[in-house]
Amino acid sequence: MEIEVKSKDENEIVFIVRDAEVPFINAIRRIAMMEVPKIAIEDVNIVQNDSAMFNEVLAHRLGLTPLISNLDGIEGMEMANECDCEEYCPKCSVSFTLSKTGPGIIYSKDLVSTDSTIKPVYDTIPLLKLKEDQNIELEVVAKIGLGKDHAKWIPTTVCAYKQYPKITFNEDAEVNYELADVCPRNILKSDKRSKKLKVQNIEDCSMCKACVRADENDYINIGFEEKNFIFRIETDGSLPPEEVLSKACDVLSDKADKFITFSKN
Amino acid sequence: MIPIRCISCGKPVSAYFDEYNSRLADGEDSKAILDDMGLKRYCCRRMLITHVETWE
Ligand SMILES: [Zn+2]
Ligand SMILES: [Zn+2]
Repeated sequence: MEIEVKSKDENEIVFIVRDAEVPFINAIRRIAMMEVPKIAIEDVNIVQNDSAMFNEVLAHRLGLTPLISNLDGIEGMEMANECDCEEYCPKCSVSFTLSKTGPGIIYSKDLVSTDSTIKPVYDTIPLLKLKEDQNIELEVVAKIGLGKDHAKWIPTTVCAYKQYPKITFNEDAEVNYELADVCPRNILKSDKRSKKLKVQNIEDCSMCKACVRADENDYINIGFEEKNFIFRIETDGSLPPEEVLSKACDVLSDKADKFITFSKN
Repeated sequence: MIPIRCISCGKPVSAYFDEYNSRLADGEDSKAILDDMGLKRYCCRRMLITHVETWE
């Protein structure tokens, strides 16, 4: 198996995996979404809420606000259900306070954290609006959880793979130059000098087969390479995509380890 | 209020809402703003384009 990184930035990584199997790639994809721990707001204690927004709507908005939970931030923290405390403690949670008086829009930056490393990823998320003399006062508790329990704990927004596209031409058939205009992703380019259609940026091909449908004499054929994959992970900013990937691999190998210990006994 | 995240993919689109509105008010083209902010998918783009603020 070979891996080649295509592009990488703060929130997104695209890489190509060669010579792998679908079940393996799919296991990584599913674990990256569902079993990579991150921190999100779980409990909200509302002291005062004069705004027009209902408490439960506000609590839901707070829950979906992404918090920075990179490895430095949540290292050594316990999963809430594995901690030996009663409800929550500094070992398994981080609390925030929000206390503001209107008028104005309350943003995610107004949440005051007790932990300097864990804070909202974006400062500009509007949470609610307050009118003149209205107050909001609340305390929230953020806990570590897994995406399989609630969508707010899913670290990825896009986490998907596709098989590597393969475009072949039937040399015996007549060349159809019009197919170049049919492709919505501009993969095909007509090259009248060499009497061929040329393929460019094949990785952008969505395998929509618009060209195959427009082609009457079976000149073009769209397929895919069975064992090669283009994998894309985009996160909500709470942790970098490489960390999601490496944590997903750790979880997968822990699962495999369980089988190893089981089969030894 | 604009939903915190894109309803389809989960991208936190609300973080871009104020910037989008102020740049739109300055006369910039909607497509140019969205491209520049890195909202590539049409699910995220419609969240900003079609949002109607009913809470004044
Ligand atoms: Zn605890
Ligand atoms: Zn979206």
